[in-house]
Amino acid sequence: MKVTIPENRKVAPFLVFFIIHSMQTGIGILGFTRIIARHAGYDSWMSIILVGIIIHILMWMIYKMTTIADGDIIAVHTYIFGKKLSKMVCSIFILYFCLLIVTVLRGFIEIVHVWMFPDLSIFWFALVFFILVIYIVNGGIRTITGIAFFSVVLPFYIVITFLLTIPYASFTNLLPMFDHSLTEVMKSAQSMSLTVIGFETLLFIYPFIKSPEKSRKWAFFSNIYTTLINLYVAIFTFAYFSENQLQKYTWPLLTIWKIIKMPFVERFEYIGIANWCLIILPNVCLALWCASWLVKQIFSIRQKTSVPALAIVCLASISLIITGETQNMLSDLTGRIGFYINFIYLPFLFFATLLARKVKKSETPS
Amino acid sequence: MFNLFKNKNKERETVKEIFAKSHDFNSFEFTNEKTKISFSLTFLSTLVEEKTIRECALPYLLEREFYKLEDAKQLLPLPDVQISTDPCAIEEKLLNGNVLLTIHGEANKFCLFAAVKDTARSITPPEVEFSVIGPKESFVESIDQNLSLLRKRIPIKELIIEEQTVGSLSKTRVAILYLDGITNKENVNTIRQRIKSIEFDEITDSSYIVQMISDNHNSPFPQLLDTERPDRVAAILAEGKVAVLVNGSPHALIAPTTLVEFFSSFEDYYLNWVLSSFFRLIRLFAVAFSILVTPVYVATLSYHYELIPQDLLSALVASRRAIPFPPILEALFLELTIELLREAGARLPTKVGQTIGIVGGIVIGTASVEAGLTSNVLLIFVALAALASFTTPVYKMGNTIRLLRFPFLLFAELWGLLGIVICFCFLLTHLIRLTSLGRPFLEPIYPLRKQDFKDSLIRLPFHKQSNRPFFLRTQQPNRFPEKTVKNEKKDIED
Repeated sequence: MKVTIPENRKVAPFLVFFIIHSMQTGIGILGFTRIIARHAGYDSWMSIILVGIIIHILMWMIYKMTTIADGDIIAVHTYIFGKKLSKMVCSIFILYFCLLIVTVLRGFIEIVHVWMFPDLSIFWFALVFFILVIYIVNGGIRTITGIAFFSVVLPFYIVITFLLTIPYASFTNLLPMFDHSLTEVMKSAQSMSLTVIGFETLLFIYPFIKSPEKSRKWAFFSNIYTTLINLYVAIFTFAYFSENQLQKYTWPLLTIWKIIKMPFVERFEYIGIANWCLIILPNVCLALWCASWLVKQIFSIRQKTSVPALAIVCLASISLIITGETQNMLSDLTGRIGFYINFIYLPFLFFATLLARKVKKSETPS
Repeated sequence: MFNLFKNKNKERETVKEIFAKSHDFNSFEFTNEKTKISFSLTFLSTLVEEKTIRECALPYLLEREFYKLEDAKQLLPLPDVQISTDPCAIEEKLLNGNVLLTIHGEANKFCLFAAVKDTARSITPPEVEFSVIGPKESFVESIDQNLSLLRKRIPIKELIIEEQTVGSLSKTRVAILYLDGITNKENVNTIRQRIKSIEFDEITDSSYIVQMISDNHNSPFPQLLDTERPDRVAAILAEGKVAVLVNGSPHALIAPTTLVEFFSSFEDYYLNWVLSSFFRLIRLFAVAFSILVTPVYVATLSYHYELIPQDLLSALVASRRAIPFPPILEALFLELTIELLREAGARLPTKVGQTIGIVGGIVIGTASVEAGLTSNVLLIFVALAALASFTTPVYKMGNTIRLLRFPFLLFAELWGLLGIVICFCFLLTHLIRLTSLGRPFLEPIYPLRKQDFKDSLIRLPFHKQSNRPFFLRTQQPNRFPEKTVKNEKKDIED
């Protein structure tokens, strides 16, 4: 099934960098250091690099698949399973994206609850947020890419703020290196899946990329950039906290910000958290867009109807998650599902595509 | 001659009868002294220069020999004399300041000659977009005068001036200007099509046209730049943009535009690039400051006072100690006061306006602090924000900036800094979605085009500006050949 997209709805190849990076960076980065250090301690920076390499391979697989099937995820599934089964399998992804939206937004609200406004109304905040998201998604993939672009460029100053913690950091914490076994490193790599998932969006936006071949290097760059940012954050966190202290904070990154002090700003985390709103925005927008695009292709419902409908569903589910414990369970669940989809199902899909190609090639001559 | 004023609908009044109701409609009968042929002149005295008739037409028509209209045409020493047989043209021509000449005996033919009264005011220095350096002329209300100003600045045949008439009552002349072979045809077509499809009766100013041909009618942002400077219009024509001039309006329109263009004063081009880049950045900073400062004040003092360092906080608390209102009411009170002052100043004559400024700015400001209604810290912020908003070189954009502050204030009251960010995201999305003549409004920031950064947030030196803006997709992307070989010195002392 090949969908033709008019040229003026497509995005330039280099913008894939911003799409993938902004999709990968969400609320996960605020707390992942604690989770990975649980298994591999201060050696877990190795697992960040390991994950980076794995994602690199997975991205290569995605590009290979899309080239073979010449299209997005539905085209790949159709290539392997045929039309009907592919539609059934792909509808799971709609649920997956909705789950992603709920996790990200609810996770953000949880942070706001803990750090800024303990009595922020979940429903009203989510409602305004979804109105914003619908406004963005209605502008099409180009507007979403614009938001993704700004969400990478504007908050870049946050990266610099970490340098202000250097006087309080002791980088000797990282020594001795290679203190943990490979299994521990692998385990911590697995536990950071919520932080890095999002690169699978490539499979969905593929038909909307102008000359997709050129976008390949930008996608790889974005993964490298994400890995570097994660590494940077992790190294500063490890240098700042002792191993036991680290386990006490849910969001070590926010705790680090407390030390930052400027002549006119004292508690930097307020600015940081408010700014994080812009960082999770493209996450939600892209996920909602992907879900609505899938709905359009599978059930042939117009995006104009499906976007608000999906938003209402997500809004309702977010308002139902009242306690922080449920939210924790939810993000664990999403992390696990994300892990299975990205790191197990995608390779499976890749090998199935290769197999299907072989079968088709052997069929055509006869 | 009366049968010339034919009307398609016989039952209604004839054109002549309708004209005759007006006081300024004149029709005089004369007789030639030599041939004794009687002729008549018909005109609207308010539109016609009577001196032209008295000195250039009547002496010749009365004293020289002529029998036919053709002879009369040869006699008259005027540039625009035409003979016609089409009665439909009469009405339009009379209303454009022409004089109708008819001869007894030639019932179906008539002669029209132009004797337009020139009422254009003289060219004055620009008042809205004043600049210390640079040309001191600005557009006036007469379109012909304005077009001649532009023709003088671009004396090449490729400068095309297309004209259309818009408005069923006003019959306003609208001219579209572009450079043939440079300007993108698509842009010209779009603007031509949009002007053609305007349906309105009375077009009094170019701002009517702006509102009718904008891409998004509901946006607070102006999507077409208006300017009163002929030098600016000439410069943007050379860049490959389209200009629209409207009769009766001293403001030309420029399309397509980008957001950053609204923050560039034309004086920037008359200064050294280092200075002008600095001023542009200052202006952009001023805009951000002007929009955000009071919302941030409200957000921090309502919710995040921990954000402020202790020493600063004590100063703030001291200034707010006696104030009975929450920060939002305090801020709204002062912001609305400033808006009132500005509005009052704009409506009043200049001299009274200055008094209002003094009364409002000094008396009300000081008194409200002394009365304990507002804190003096906020007064400083609001005054600074008002000052910063005046740095916007384009008046219409300045108005938009004034308005933008209020949604930010409300969101700041609602959710503090988080609300400000949400409101900012709404604004950002709106700007990303906005287009001017179908071209992205936020260019060159998004879509990111580094080749267009040379004249946006900063202005690079002229020798770096060898390419026309990329987003215009001009037919000739190069303005002048780029210098590749530079005689640079190889060493310090070479």
